[in-house]
Amino acid sequence: MRIADKMQYEQVKTNVGKNRTTMSELQNQAATQKRVTKPSDDPLASSRVLANRIDLQGNKQFSKSLNYAKSFLEYTDQSLGDLSEVMMRAKELAISQANDAGANEDSRRAVAIEIEQLYNQMVNIGNRKLGDRFIFGGFRTQAAPFDTKGEYKGDPGEMNIHIDKEAFLAMNVPGGRVFLGAGIDRNGMAKPTTPQARSIEELEVQKMGGQPQAPGRGQGPVEAREPASILGFKGPTPDPAPKAQPQSVPAPPVAEEPGGVNLFRVIKDLEIALRTNDKAGVQDTLNHLDDGLNQVVLTRAQVGSRGTVLDNFMQTLEKAKVDNQITISQLEDADIFSTVSDITKTENTLQATLQTSGKLIQPSLLDFLR
Amino acid sequence: MSRIWSMMDVGRRSLANSQTALQTTAHNVANKSTEGYSRQRVDIVTNQPVGEGRLRLGMGAKASQVNRTNNEYLEKQLEAEGNYLGYHTARSEMLGRVEQVYNEQVNKGLNHSLGNFFNSFRELSNNPESLATRTAVKESAEFLTKDFNRVHTQLTEIQNDADFRISLKVEEINQTTREIAQLNAKVQTVELNGTPANDERDRRELLVKKLGEKVSIKSAEGKDGMLTISVAGTGVLVSGHSQRDLSTAATPGRNGKREGNIDVFYKSTDHSTPVNITKQIKGGELGGLLEVRDAVVNEFIGGMDTLAYKIAEEVNMAHVQGYDRAGRTGNAFFETSYGVDGAAENLKVSELVSNDVGRIAAGAQPDAPGDNRMANVLSGLQFKGVFNDGKTTLDDHYNSMVGKIGIEAQRANSAQESQADILGQLKNLRESISGVSIDEEMTKMIEFQKSFDASARLVRTADEMMDTVLSLKRM
Repeated sequence: MRIADKMQYEQVKTNVGKNRTTMSELQNQAATQKRVTKPSDDPLASSRVLANRIDLQGNKQFSKSLNYAKSFLEYTDQSLGDLSEVMMRAKELAISQANDAGANEDSRRAVAIEIEQLYNQMVNIGNRKLGDRFIFGGFRTQAAPFDTKGEYKGDPGEMNIHIDKEAFLAMNVPGGRVFLGAGIDRNGMAKPTTPQARSIEELEVQKMGGQPQAPGRGQGPVEAREPASILGFKGPTPDPAPKAQPQSVPAPPVAEEPGGVNLFRVIKDLEIALRTNDKAGVQDTLNHLDDGLNQVVLTRAQVGSRGTVLDNFMQTLEKAKVDNQITISQLEDADIFSTVSDITKTENTLQATLQTSGKLIQPSLLDFLR
Repeated sequence: MSRIWSMMDVGRRSLANSQTALQTTAHNVANKSTEGYSRQRVDIVTNQPVGEGRLRLGMGAKASQVNRTNNEYLEKQLEAEGNYLGYHTARSEMLGRVEQVYNEQVNKGLNHSLGNFFNSFRELSNNPESLATRTAVKESAEFLTKDFNRVHTQLTEIQNDADFRISLKVEEINQTTREIAQLNAKVQTVELNGTPANDERDRRELLVKKLGEKVSIKSAEGKDGMLTISVAGTGVLVSGHSQRDLSTAATPGRNGKREGNIDVFYKSTDHSTPVNITKQIKGGELGGLLEVRDAVVNEFIGGMDTLAYKIAEEVNMAHVQGYDRAGRTGNAFFETSYGVDGAAENLKVSELVSNDVGRIAAGAQPDAPGDNRMANVLSGLQFKGVFNDGKTTLDDHYNSMVGKIGIEAQRANSAQESQADILGQLKNLRESISGVSIDEEMTKMIEFQKSFDASARLVRTADEMMDTVLSLKRM
C-alpha cells in the first residue's frame, strides 16, 4: 500500500487521540468514583438509579413519619397506662367500700372525695397534649376533647400516617372510644380502624356511609354493622336509614354511639353511690369498672400491637434503605480496582503509541540526503 | 551537423521537461498538507520521431499534461459518508445537550424535587396543624414548579441554539455554493482548451464534500465540466455560473415544530416567493439539527407538559375536595389556567395557596385541624398509576424519559463514533491514492535532477562537438 505522509500524521493523531480519550474517561471515573455520570453512559442503569433514589428518598421520609407516629403512640400508650391505673385504683376503692365489714358511711364519703380526684385525673388524662396537639381529640387536636362533665368534644377521626408505599397506620386513639366506649361493641371488642382512603373516590365512599359514625345511621344496632366493618372496606350498606348528606357537604363529625363503657359515668356513678352511702350502688359499679378496665386494657393492647407493626416496618425500612444504597452503588459506582488497572493499561498503550509514533514520523528520505 | 543541432534541441527540451517535473514536485511538496489536494504528475511522452530514409529518429520527450492522481468514485463515497457523519455528529452533540437537562447523576433534578414534593405531604400528614409543615409543602411545590420551568426553558434554549446553528450553517452553505459557482466558471475556462484544471477541481471537490457534511445534496457534472448541485429534491443551488441562496425565517408553529423556530426557504428566481423546504431537508448537520430540534426536543417538551399537567390535575382534583385549616373547601393547589400544551412552562402554585399556606387542604372534613386524610391521599399520589390506564406512575413517566434520552444519546454517540471510523478509513484510502509522500517526491526530485544533469551534459557534449566541427577548418 502506498503510504502518504498525511496518512501517517493522521494515524498518529487518531491513535493518540483515542488513547487520550480513554485515559481522560478513566481518570474521570477514578476521580468521581462513578461509572455512570450521564444517562447515555448506561441508560438502563441510570433510570434504575433514579427509581432507587426516589425509593430511598421516600423511605427516609417514611422512617421520619414512623418515628413521629411512634412517639405519638408511645405517649398514648403511657396515657392509657395511667388511665388503667386510675381505673384500678377506683376498683380497689370500690371493692373496699362494697361491703359493710370494713366500710361505713364516713369512709365512703372520704373515699368519694378520692374518687372525685380520680375523676379529675381522668379528665386530665383525656386532655393530654403532645406538643400542641391533644392526643385524644380525634381530628380535633386544637381544643380540649373533654370538659369537666366528661363530655367529648373531639371526633372519632383516626390520623393515619403514611409509613410505607402502600401502608398507613393510625397513630391516635380517639378519646370517644377509650373513654366513652364509642366504637366498641358490647363484647368489649374494639372495632377495626377505618382504613386510610387511597384516593378521593375511596374517601367519598367512606364519607357517604363507610364510617360507622356517619350521620343518620344511629338507629341500627351496632352488631348489625359488624360484618361489613370487619372486611375493612365499607361500601354503602343497604341501610334503610336516610342517605348520607350530599358528597360536597361532608358529614359534620358526630360523636360515636357508645357501645362500650362510659368511664366518666361509671366513676361518677361510683362517686354518687359512695356519697349517698349506697352499698348496692357501689356493688353495681364493680361490674362496670371491670368492663371499663377491660376496655382500656384492650385499647392499650391495640396501641401496643400498632407499636409492634411500627417496629417491624421500621426494620424493613432500614433494610430497604441499605438495599437502595447498595443497588445505587452497584449500578453507578466505578469498580475502582478495575479502573486503576485500566488506567495502567491505557497508560502503557499511550506510551507505546507515542514512542512508535516518534519513530514513524522521524525518518524520511530527507534525513539521508546531503 | 543537423544531428548535432537536433541533439542540442533534444537536450534543451529535456532540460525544460526536468524543470517542469521539478516544478510539479515542488508544487506537491508545498501542498503536502493542503486539504483536498491531489498529487500531480507531469505526463512526459516521446516526441514525434523524424523519419530520415530508412531511419526513424526519436526526437526526445515532451511534457504533454499535468495530471492529478484521483479516484472519482472514492470522492463520491467520501461525500456520502461525510454526509452521514455530519448528521450523526450534529445529532449526538444536540442529544448530549438534551441529556444534560435530564442528567441527575451529578445534580439533583426533577426526580428529586418530585420526591420532595410528595414527602412534604407526608410531613403535612404527620402534623397538619403546624404552619411550618404547611410552609414546607408550599416551598417544595414552588421548587417543583420552578424545576419544571427550568427543564422547559433549558429545552427551548436548546431549540433556539439549534436555530442559531441552523442559520449559521445556511450561511456557510450559501458561501460554499457561491465559491463552487465561481470555481465552475474557472474550470470551464481552463478546460476549454483541454488542459485539466487540477487545483480548481481539487478545491471544488473539497467544497462539495464540505457541503455534503452540512446537508444532503445531489451533484452532477455536465459536459462542460461544470457541477450542478441541488438540495432537498428540487432546490437547485448551483447551476453553471449561477447560484441561489437559501434563507431562514421564523415561522408559526405546526405539527412537530414549535412556534418561533426557524424554517429554511429557497427561492428559484429573484422574484419568486420563497418556498419552505424544511421538511425536504434530510441528512447532514442541518438534517441532524432539524431532527433533534423538532422531533426529539419537542417530544420531550411534550412529555414534560403531560407530566406537569397530570400532576396539577391529580393534585387539584383531590385538593379542591379537601378542607383547609379554616374549614374552607374548593381551593385549587395549582394554577389551572392552561391546557396540556405549555403546562411545564406555566405550572404554578395557585395564588391562594402561595399567599396563605393555611389554604392547603390537609383534611377531608371541616373543623378538624388534625384531619390528615387528604394529605394522605395526596402523598399516595406518588405511587398511583396515573398514566397508561393506571400502569405508570408520575415517577415512572419521568424516569422513562430519562432512560429514553439516555438510549437516544448513547445510540447517537456510537453511530457518530462508527461513522467517524468509516470516514477515517476512507480518508486514509484517499490519501493513499492522492496524498503526497515526501519520500516519493524526494526520489522524484533526485530522478529529475539527475535527468537535468544528464541533459545538461548532453548539451555540453553537443557544444563540444560543435566546437570540434568548427575547428576543423583551422587544422
